[in-house]
Amino acid sequence: MTHTTEMVRQPVHRSHPLRKAIAYTAAYTALLLFGFVVIFPFLVMVFTSLKEPADTFSYPPRLLPREAVTVEVPGFDKPLPLYTVEVDGVQRQMALAVTTVRVGVFAPPDNLAATVTVPLDEVTPTRGADGQAMAVVDGQPQPLFDVSVNGGTVPMVRLSQTALGRFVDPENPQVTALANVRLSPPVTRITWHPENYRQVLELNGMGRALINTTLVTLMVVIGQLTTSVLGGYAFARLRFPGRDTLFLLYLGTIMIPFVVLIMPLYQLMVLIGWTDRLASLIIPWVFTAYGTFLMRQFFLTIPREIEEAALIDGSSRLQILTRIFIPAATPALATLATFTFLYAWNSFFWPLVIINTGNTDNHVLTLALNVLRGRAADSPNLVLAGAAISVLPPMVLFVLAQRFFIESATSSAVKG
Amino acid sequence: MTTATLPLRKPATAAWLAVLPIWHLVVALAAAATGVILLPRLSEGLLLVPVVGLLAVAGLSAAAVPYIRRRNHRGRVLSLAVNYLGFLACAVGLLHLMGAFTGIDDLARRFGRGLPFLLLAFLGYLVQAYADHFEYYPKRQRRVQEAGKGIILVGLALFFVAIVNWPGLPALALKLLQPAHLALLALAVLFAAMFWGMWRQPTAEAMHVNNARAETLSGLLFLSPNFLGFLLFFAGPLLLSLYTSFTNWDAFGTRDWVGLDNYARLLNLTVARLSSPTQLAAEVIDVKVYDELARFTLFGRSYVVGAEDKLFWISLRNTVVFCLIAVPLSVIPALFLSNILNSRLPGMKFFRAVYFIPSVAAVVGVSLIWQWMYNSAVGWINYGITVGINLLNGAFGLDIADPKIRWLSSADTALLAVAVMVAWQTMGFNTVLFLAGLQNIPTVLYEAATVDGADAAGRFRHITLPLLAPTTVFVVTTTLIQAFQVFEPIFIMTNPPGGPNNATLSMVLYLYQNGFQRFRQGYASAIAWVLFLAIFVVTLIQFRRQRGGVAYEA
Repeated sequence: MTHTTEMVRQPVHRSHPLRKAIAYTAAYTALLLFGFVVIFPFLVMVFTSLKEPADTFSYPPRLLPREAVTVEVPGFDKPLPLYTVEVDGVQRQMALAVTTVRVGVFAPPDNLAATVTVPLDEVTPTRGADGQAMAVVDGQPQPLFDVSVNGGTVPMVRLSQTALGRFVDPENPQVTALANVRLSPPVTRITWHPENYRQVLELNGMGRALINTTLVTLMVVIGQLTTSVLGGYAFARLRFPGRDTLFLLYLGTIMIPFVVLIMPLYQLMVLIGWTDRLASLIIPWVFTAYGTFLMRQFFLTIPREIEEAALIDGSSRLQILTRIFIPAATPALATLATFTFLYAWNSFFWPLVIINTGNTDNHVLTLALNVLRGRAADSPNLVLAGAAISVLPPMVLFVLAQRFFIESATSSAVKG
Repeated sequence: MTTATLPLRKPATAAWLAVLPIWHLVVALAAAATGVILLPRLSEGLLLVPVVGLLAVAGLSAAAVPYIRRRNHRGRVLSLAVNYLGFLACAVGLLHLMGAFTGIDDLARRFGRGLPFLLLAFLGYLVQAYADHFEYYPKRQRRVQEAGKGIILVGLALFFVAIVNWPGLPALALKLLQPAHLALLALAVLFAAMFWGMWRQPTAEAMHVNNARAETLSGLLFLSPNFLGFLLFFAGPLLLSLYTSFTNWDAFGTRDWVGLDNYARLLNLTVARLSSPTQLAAEVIDVKVYDELARFTLFGRSYVVGAEDKLFWISLRNTVVFCLIAVPLSVIPALFLSNILNSRLPGMKFFRAVYFIPSVAAVVGVSLIWQWMYNSAVGWINYGITVGINLLNGAFGLDIADPKIRWLSSADTALLAVAVMVAWQTMGFNTVLFLAGLQNIPTVLYEAATVDGADAAGRFRHITLPLLAPTTVFVVTTTLIQAFQVFEPIFIMTNPPGGPNNATLSMVLYLYQNGFQRFRQGYASAIAWVLFLAIFVVTLIQFRRQRGGVAYEA
């Protein structure tokens, strides 16, 4: 079959090797481009969550977490930050000893182009502060200062003054240089701050929220699988009056949006006394029409003969369900489990409505994130560490059980 | 009927059949009495459901009596139903009173300690699954399987030891000894016993069971957990929601029937003619009722539109605009990507997985990431724009100013920013749906078209698009339905939610503000039903299009 089509296709297709190469390149370029767009925000999340707070606000933004390098310099109590400084046209790595040194730009009155930059406290007024000597520059009298240049002292006028940083050579602290701190790039190295995660988990309640979310998700998944399997089996295999009408009713409710239910469900929870309780995040979500529908569709594909043989052997319906149907339905169960897992793990609207903001003991991850973003608004590294804690577990699961995720996506479309 | 009077050979069955009618008479009387006592208090709270339930049970129980005496199988069905429901009500009630449901909070406190053991059990499961690698060495396979099973059991046992509140158990036992709890327990046991008495095979035979009847009972029993939960947490609330939308429910006790007032207020619009385009709206419409919503000029005449609830109309407009941006932005790239992925080049599975990743992430988390990327001072998106503009300026000698867009805090861009993020998140999911649709198109069609001399564009236009139409309709409608309910990204990314200046106020956000911040739950329910109606229309269109069928039959 493939053989014949190949033979037919060859002459018609005119697939020139060059054209093919261009098409492939274009295809892969497009795929890579979109892949980059899809992945980049997650890279930003992970790398930002490992940064120190100051680093998150650096501009231009950089992906990898970097930190200023500091060095111990003899004669200084604290480690000094290291900068790349241009000294006499040469790039050198030097430590910043004094952040602001007031300096003046001086020049001899007869040669204004020969400027030197000297700290103000290293010059003295020529002939003392009382009777300072003056020189006339551009028709204006200017005070003269004694500036030491190459060992000698030269009287000069001050052209301007500014502030520079004093840098020292870390190996040889006697060697110093003055340079503009803002124009000298700090020396950085890549540093990771995984302790951001510990801080978020311990101090900001995300640890408790992680445990709550795990518990809620686990119970919803188990509960929903149980009711869906039982209901799906009844709909697929047991005849009783009104079954098909009931099934149509179930089907009809799948498309009803959750927002219609949120108000009365809230009122119901108030009535039962489950507001602010984890039970409200679990019990109502154990019964779904969608899961029942999915299991029914799968059970319909299991041959009736197997079941009948088991019935004749004296098995009860429950035995048939647990010994024949459930093992055969593992893929469908896994699909439903992933679907339910995502729904339970990621839900935000319902917890927001039902769990009090102050009751942090019962917060799930999405709620804790909502609190964290307000509390740690000025430390994006912590906020994004929190985001990573909520976002990464489903992704890890996705990598492990990719097939079922994709199936759960397409299963919704099969029957439309 | 003729067999009804056959003598019963087994004394136990005879005893059950004698006891059961009496029991059902007692249940009927007790349920009816309780229902009648509660009847005058119907107006308080939501007692309607339990009262109706009690009276229904009384009726069923009473109806069961003559059938059981005549040994008609209908009596068995009724009896089983009454006892089953009675048992469930008592058991759930007892659990509720004992704090089993609210106790989940307490469980969560200790659940963390048990998690490592649960992981151990999972490890055991992996070991057990690994045994399949030795399917040609049955002995070793069995040994590995048993080791895995052992690890699972140990893990689960340790897990339960870790999460059970051992010191709290005596207090729990004492709590059970309270009279009300004991009574409920006794009732539950009685209902269970009566259920078993009717269920057991000899009684069933005496009641003339047959295969079809047994199957009906099994069916109802299997469906019951699902169906009861569905009634309680879905169908019931749905009806309650409809009722609430006709009241002025405020969550603090006021609950008066107001008829269609909520809907009228929500949808009330007025149009008035202005003498000049700049005339004050207050001069032509009643500003005590209406707020100015918009003004427009038609055939040289100016009009002003007033709305009683201006914010609703703003939220409707925002939602529609949001859908108009987000849906094409999500669907068109998805269609494009799925066609590349369908080419079966190497590595396509990898890309499919990569594109799917955003849809497994929590919207809240993703919103926070994008919020940071949208940061106007140090965010990546503005940095990318700056770099792009610098490149353009450098390459073509242009002088484009860097806009430094304040994405989320400017009313012009906030909705667009959220829509882009939502499109980004849903694109991969839609790609996978399209890909599934594409893989259902028979390759023979493409081969035939190629033979006939169609080029790639022709094949896409005349085969892919028409045959993919059902998938496309499905993808567009589901994305649209989702986009219509946008709430979470707006709530997280904009500050205040819906801001700036209501530029991102969506319908669901407006519903949330009404229902849970201003506690106008009746009004919010009306918004919910208007929203539902809109979604329903979209769904209907989808069904109609699908029934229209495929252009080509494969």
